[in-house]
Amino acid sequence: MIEGKQKGIKGILEPVLRNLGLTLFAMFALFPLIWMVLCSFKSDAQMYNTVFVFDPTLDNYQAVLVGTDYFKAFFQNLVVAGGAVLVTIIAGVPCAYALARYNFRKKEDVAFQILSFKFAPEIMVILPVFLIFQKIGLYDTYLGLIWVYQLITMPLVIWVVRGYFEDISVEVEQAAQLDGYAWYEIFFKTLVPLIKPGLVSSALLAFIFAWNSFTFPLILSGFKIQTITITALRYIASDTVHYGQVAVASTIAVLPEVIVALFIQKHLVRGLSFGAVKG
Amino acid sequence: MAKIELCNITKKFGDVVALSDVSLTVEDNEFFVLFGPAGAGKTTLLKTIAGAEFPEKGLVKIGGQIVNHVEPKDRNVSMVFENYALYPNLSVYDNIASPMRSRLYRKDEAYIKDAVDRVTKMMKINHLLDRKPSQLSNGQRQRVALGRCLVRDPNVFLMDEPLAHLDAKLRHFMRGELKEMQTSINSTTIYVTHDYMEAMSLADRIAVLNKGKIVQIGTAQEMYYTPCNEFVASLFGEPEINLIPAVMKTEGGTLYLRMLGQEIDLYPEEDTIDELTAAGTGDIHIGLRGNDIRFAFEKPGDDWFEGTVYANEPIGNKVIMTVDTGDCKVALTCPNDTVAKLDQKVYIRPNMKNALYFHGATKEFITRNNKARYTGKKN
Amino acid sequence: MAQLTLKNVYKRYDNQEKKLFRKKKINDFAVKDVSYVCEDGEFIGILGPSGCGKSTTLRMIAGLETITAGDMYIGDVRINDLHPKDRNIGLAFEDYALYPPLNVYDNLAFNMRAKKKSEEEIRKAIDYVAPLMKIDDLLDMKPPALSGGQKQRVNIARAIVRRPGLLLLDEPLSHLDGKMRQQLRQEIKRMHHEIKCTTIIVTHDQMEAMSLADRIIIMKDGEIQQIGTPLEVYDDPANEFVAGFIGEPPMNLLPSVIIKNQENFMFTFEGSDLQVEVPKKYRDVVKDGMKVTLGVRPVDVLIASEKVKSTPVPVAIYENLGDERRVSVRVGEQLLSMTTTDDVYYEPGQKVQLIFHEERTHLFDPQTGERIRG
Repeated sequence: MIEGKQKGIKGILEPVLRNLGLTLFAMFALFPLIWMVLCSFKSDAQMYNTVFVFDPTLDNYQAVLVGTDYFKAFFQNLVVAGGAVLVTIIAGVPCAYALARYNFRKKEDVAFQILSFKFAPEIMVILPVFLIFQKIGLYDTYLGLIWVYQLITMPLVIWVVRGYFEDISVEVEQAAQLDGYAWYEIFFKTLVPLIKPGLVSSALLAFIFAWNSFTFPLILSGFKIQTITITALRYIASDTVHYGQVAVASTIAVLPEVIVALFIQKHLVRGLSFGAVKG
Repeated sequence: MAKIELCNITKKFGDVVALSDVSLTVEDNEFFVLFGPAGAGKTTLLKTIAGAEFPEKGLVKIGGQIVNHVEPKDRNVSMVFENYALYPNLSVYDNIASPMRSRLYRKDEAYIKDAVDRVTKMMKINHLLDRKPSQLSNGQRQRVALGRCLVRDPNVFLMDEPLAHLDAKLRHFMRGELKEMQTSINSTTIYVTHDYMEAMSLADRIAVLNKGKIVQIGTAQEMYYTPCNEFVASLFGEPEINLIPAVMKTEGGTLYLRMLGQEIDLYPEEDTIDELTAAGTGDIHIGLRGNDIRFAFEKPGDDWFEGTVYANEPIGNKVIMTVDTGDCKVALTCPNDTVAKLDQKVYIRPNMKNALYFHGATKEFITRNNKARYTGKKN
Repeated sequence: MAQLTLKNVYKRYDNQEKKLFRKKKINDFAVKDVSYVCEDGEFIGILGPSGCGKSTTLRMIAGLETITAGDMYIGDVRINDLHPKDRNIGLAFEDYALYPPLNVYDNLAFNMRAKKKSEEEIRKAIDYVAPLMKIDDLLDMKPPALSGGQKQRVNIARAIVRRPGLLLLDEPLSHLDGKMRQQLRQEIKRMHHEIKCTTIIVTHDQMEAMSLADRIIIMKDGEIQQIGTPLEVYDDPANEFVAGFIGEPPMNLLPSVIIKNQENFMFTFEGSDLQVEVPKKYRDVVKDGMKVTLGVRPVDVLIASEKVKSTPVPVAIYENLGDERRVSVRVGEQLLSMTTTDDVYYEPGQKVQLIFHEERTHLFDPQTGERIRG
């Protein structure tokens, strides 16, 4: 008597079409990445052919990786980006906590100010920073780059983590106080686990932004410190552009990001949408 | 185990005065209830004792010691928060064990296990130990919060509406459990509620708060039978007390009252006359509870007031009938098989033995029959 | 004015997520085999806990949900496939849904203007309805300036201003606080008394259903448990669920084993010395060793003043609530409570003998929850 509606052709076709659409979009989105990887195996001669069939060669890899300081740049990029994220977490999480919990004058202005650092075009900031850095000896140092990277990483982490703190009721902290915990125990045992999804995803995202930064290291570092984004420039010679080598440099530079992105993708959307993980 | 003293506590949030000059003393081992409508400042007062809020003015003393500047964790108080404030990342077991794992109140794991077993059995949540708070219903969360509070042996238990979010049935049973538990709690307890039945059932003494001020402190019996003003009277009892404006006159040495615009003289009890006369006003409000008014559908005599049935609401074990007398509406409690048609004629007669008299202008309590009987009486 | 008939009405929601490979048929109904006749001018309350299908039923009557199976009639007209606007139904939901830019008068007039009624007709209708819901002073105000209670009054007035054949109210009072709720409850009842429009109210609050409705339909898991007047469902519950759901304080429901003690059958309870005599009327249906759930309301448990055939038990809790006193004793794990209006004090620990009101002692099958009648 009570039968569900007939599923029919529509019911079967719908998921098939949907998956087809998604596949197409994925290919479209991933194409630049695929093309880059393909380029890294092409010789300079084949570079301008837009075909998928070619003789793969490892020459580019040899040219970039063997006997060069590419890995040094890779390592230095890691230090700078990692250092920047570390500083951001150490300074940014307490800052986010303060913005979430305490009421002080011009609180919202301060919060907005922090966010607005991200609006400023890097190229505009960079000239005065360059001059100052030269004067005070931060030019071409780890410290200098890590410092200036805060402009990229800090606002992101503060705003995401602040949202998380705001979602935790004050009473949870008060309950922990009455349970006999000291403030640092409350912070690490109670609060940190609760903001972890937001902290991890925003920190990794910040890491990616820092890793990718081009303008800052281009101007603010010279010989001692080189990030791989800058190193890739080196293959643009005066007479020709070694696209294959640029592609190799980029492919390897992208690897950590892809790994990170795969690692966090599940948490990323959830982690960045404020308060979506309420208890 | 400690005596709690609050002296002249004032607390503001911005321009809003949450507590204004509140002083009270809670005796050692007393079960003290803070009672009042929403926004009266009950929770703020509780948090002031816990140390989660800091008063602008005034002293907080626990066991004779001023604790204004003592950290909450060092005050040795245990609290149930209205929104439960459970740790979302911990299981029920770990939530309840949490106070016994802090450096200050550390116990060994075997002791913790016994203690958690004991309270979870009492709260009937022992089958939920592995669940996270997000997997619990509101009623279960509330019981976990209560368990986390009761597992300790603090100076004072602070409970903020611990039964508020339970459904009526569960609330009835949990109130019973709490009441029975009282004898085994060897600690001062301060309990916040807006439910008069919880207040009357549990309290050794009640403080009624309104708009950040203490209105009256006393036993449940004092609140119910000798409320200090109309506000307190209206908070206790269901249906709400009828406050009927009346005119008091003296003729030939006899004092009588007229109310409801009908020419029927009511004579107050002997022992109330002196105080009624001393009140110095003819404008009196008579407080009559639903139980204190008799009714009949046939006119039993000339001294019965006439009205019509405005509403007749069976609520199970009784029927609440609202009678429209023209001037005002009077609610009375009737047996549960009472059947009445709306707008039907009905006759009512107040029982003046239980009438409360209030000053018409100031709304302050004047007197009642046999007043002394109810002061200081606990049950 | 209309009579509403529901005949074997079912409702199943299609599973939202259409899986490509569905393993099994989902066969849970939100509403199962609901039939009743709601007489012209009657006030019906549909009562049940959340998720019992009461709102779904209401929404099907209103035409906001399709009917999976069964028939619905208003008068003689089958309304299954009738568009909501053609059913002549007035609806008021828990949320007020007033148009904020319009004042109260225009809010009330909105629907009738859409139907091209003359302004004079509209004014007459509003003049009649406004005093009923006590909003005649508010007609010029805009919704944001109104309190919650006032908004709900306007909301209900808007539902009845067109004089619908059927008025549906979905938890209209659940947003309001105590006193406002009580007042509006009385006014809804009076409004119904005045316009005598067939009305259905959906609520989870048994007190609300009891005080408003002529008849109550109690639902659980999509099925009707009992239909009856407030007094009937209170005094004569069909099963354990109804018994426990209706009444405040709730009915004592205690698992019990009946034993035969010489001539008499006695209720015994696990973990307790308490024994109480089984009422005579059950003599033919009980036997030695039978397991039952005993149901007795707190008002029907009495403390005996003279010797009776029941074991003395100690008082566990004594509560003086002003209007009444509640005394509870421990029966195993559970509490058995009783209420009394007599001003007597029982010290906890003091031994008392209990008797149950014979006529009002109910037995239920512990497995099915069905009532065992004597």
